[in-house]
Amino acid sequence: MSSMISAGTTAAGGAIPQHHHVRKGRIVISKVTPAKLWLRSVLAVLVFFTLYGFLTIDTAGADLPASFVQTVRYFWIMFTSPRAVASHFGMSQSAGGFPVFLSAVKVLGITLALAFLSTLTGGVVALVLGLLAARNLTNDRISNTIKGIVAFIRAVPTVLWVLIFAIGAGLGAVAAVIGMSFHTVGHLMKAYSESFEELDEGVIEALRASGAKWPHIIFQAVMPSSITSILSWTFIRFEINFAVAVAMGAAAGAGGIGFNLFMSAGYFFDIREIGYITLMILVVALLMEVIAARLKKHYQPDAL
Amino acid sequence: MPQLHVKNLTKYYKDVLALSDVSFAVEKGDFVGIIGPSGSGKTTLVRCINRLITATGGEICLNNDKNILEMNRSEIRKARTGIGMIFQHYNLVDRLTVIENVLHGRLGYKNTVSGVFGHYTEGEKRKALEVLGLLGLDEHVYRRCDQLSGGQKQRVGIARALVQEPEIILCDEPISSLDPGSSKKIMDYLRKIQSELGITILVNLHQVDVARTYAKRILGFNNGKLVYDGPSELLTTERIQEIYGKEAHELILN
Repeated sequence: MSSMISAGTTAAGGAIPQHHHVRKGRIVISKVTPAKLWLRSVLAVLVFFTLYGFLTIDTAGADLPASFVQTVRYFWIMFTSPRAVASHFGMSQSAGGFPVFLSAVKVLGITLALAFLSTLTGGVVALVLGLLAARNLTNDRISNTIKGIVAFIRAVPTVLWVLIFAIGAGLGAVAAVIGMSFHTVGHLMKAYSESFEELDEGVIEALRASGAKWPHIIFQAVMPSSITSILSWTFIRFEINFAVAVAMGAAAGAGGIGFNLFMSAGYFFDIREIGYITLMILVVALLMEVIAARLKKHYQPDAL
Repeated sequence: MPQLHVKNLTKYYKDVLALSDVSFAVEKGDFVGIIGPSGSGKTTLVRCINRLITATGGEICLNNDKNILEMNRSEIRKARTGIGMIFQHYNLVDRLTVIENVLHGRLGYKNTVSGVFGHYTEGEKRKALEVLGLLGLDEHVYRRCDQLSGGQKQRVGIARALVQEPEIILCDEPISSLDPGSSKKIMDYLRKIQSELGITILVNLHQVDVARTYAKRILGFNNGKLVYDGPSELLTTERIQEIYGKEAHELILN
C-alpha cells in the first residue's frame, strides 16, 4: 500500500504520503460526513417506501395495462376533440360554436379578474410592508417583527386563508380574493424586501449625505433600482394567482372557469368539455408567460 | 476664523476606540489630505463630519454654527446640504441616467413631495448641466450610469456633490478603485474645484505621494490619533514612519 502511495507522490513531486487519504488501498476523494450519511439514509427510506407502495397498491381488480391504454385514449379525446356544451355556459342549446366560445372567454375573464384583484391588493400591501421590512431601510426591530408576522401568513396555505375568510364573507368571490390577497402579501413582501435589500448600502449613504429624506431615498434610489424585479415578481405572482383562482372557483365557489371545470369533471363527466376548458387555461398561461418575458426584456434590455 | 472646527472628537465602536481626542481646524478653501494606515480612523473621521456616523463625544462646528453632534434631524439635513461627499465606489444609482444621478444632489433642498416625484426646477437642471460641462461629461448626460467607466462614474459623483453648491467636499478614498490615469484626472478636477470655486476639500487618501502632490495640508492618523498636522512640505520620511510604522516607509517612498 505504502509503496503505491510513494510511487504516486514521487511522480507528483514528492509530497509527504498521508495515510488518511487512503482507504482499502484506494485514494479517497470525498469525505463521509454525518450530513451525507443522513442524506443517504433518507434516500434509502424513500426508495423503500416507493417500492413498497407500488407493490402493495390496491388496484381494486382493475386490469392495469388496459386501464393505462384507456387513460391515454381519454386524454387523446380530451385534447383532440374538445368542445363546450352551450347550456353549461348559460347559452341556449341552439347557440353556435362562436357565441359559446365568447361566453367561455367571459367566464375565463372572471377567473383572470379574481387573480388580478388579489395580486393588486396583495401587491400594494406587500410594497408598503416590503419597504418597512427591508433591513437596509429600517431598523432591525421593525424588520424582524414584520418578517415574522408575514412568515406566519405565508406558512398558511392559500386555500386555508380563503376558507378562513369564508366564515365572515361566505363561500364565494369575496372570500377567495381576500384569502388569495393574504397569501400574495406573504409571498410578495418577502420577494420585494429581498430585492430592496440587494441595493448597495453606499447609494443610500450617498443620498443621506446630501440631506435627502427617507421618502426621497425610497423613490429616487430604491424604487428605480428594484423596479425590474418588483415587476417580474408581481407578474409571477399573477400567474400563480391565476392558477389558484381556477382552483378556488371549484373549491370555494368563487366562480369563473374553475367552477365550470369542476362541473364538467364532477357533475357532467364531460371529457371533451374538460379538454376545451383546459386548453383555454393553457393558452392564457402561455400568453402570460410571453408577456412576462416581454416585460422583462423591456425593463432590463441589457440583461439579455 | 476657521470654516470647520473639530474639537476633542472621540468615537467608540462598542469598546473599540476609532477616534481618540482629535482636534483640528480647517480654513475656507483649504485642500486637506488625510492619510494613515487602514483602520486608523480616516473614514470614521470623514463620516463623523456629516454625521453619517455619530461620534461618541466632542464638537464639530461648520462656520461657527451649532455643534453637528447636537443637531436634530432637520438641522442635520440642512447642514448636510452644505457638505458634499464623494465615495470610493461612487455610490450612484446604476439604473438611472447621469443627469438624474447628478440631480440627486439637490434632494436635500426639496420638500418631500417634489423630491419623491423628482420635480426639479429649471434652475436646478441648468445648474446640473453646467456642472456636467465643467467635468467634461456633456456627451454622457442621458447615458445610464452602469454604462460608464470608473473614472466617468467618479466624475458623476463629483458632479452630484457640486450641484449641492457645497462649501466643503468630503472625499472618502476617491481614487482607490481607479487606474493611475483616471486617478490623476479626478485629483486634477478636485484641485480645480478647490482653486477656482473656492470649495474646501477634505480628502482621504491611501497614496502618500498623491496626498503630498495635491494637498497643501496633511492630517496623518495612526490608531485613531492625529499624529501629524502640518503643511505637506514638512511631511518628512520620519513623519511618514510615525504615521505608517517603520516597515512601511520603503514601499511608500519608492
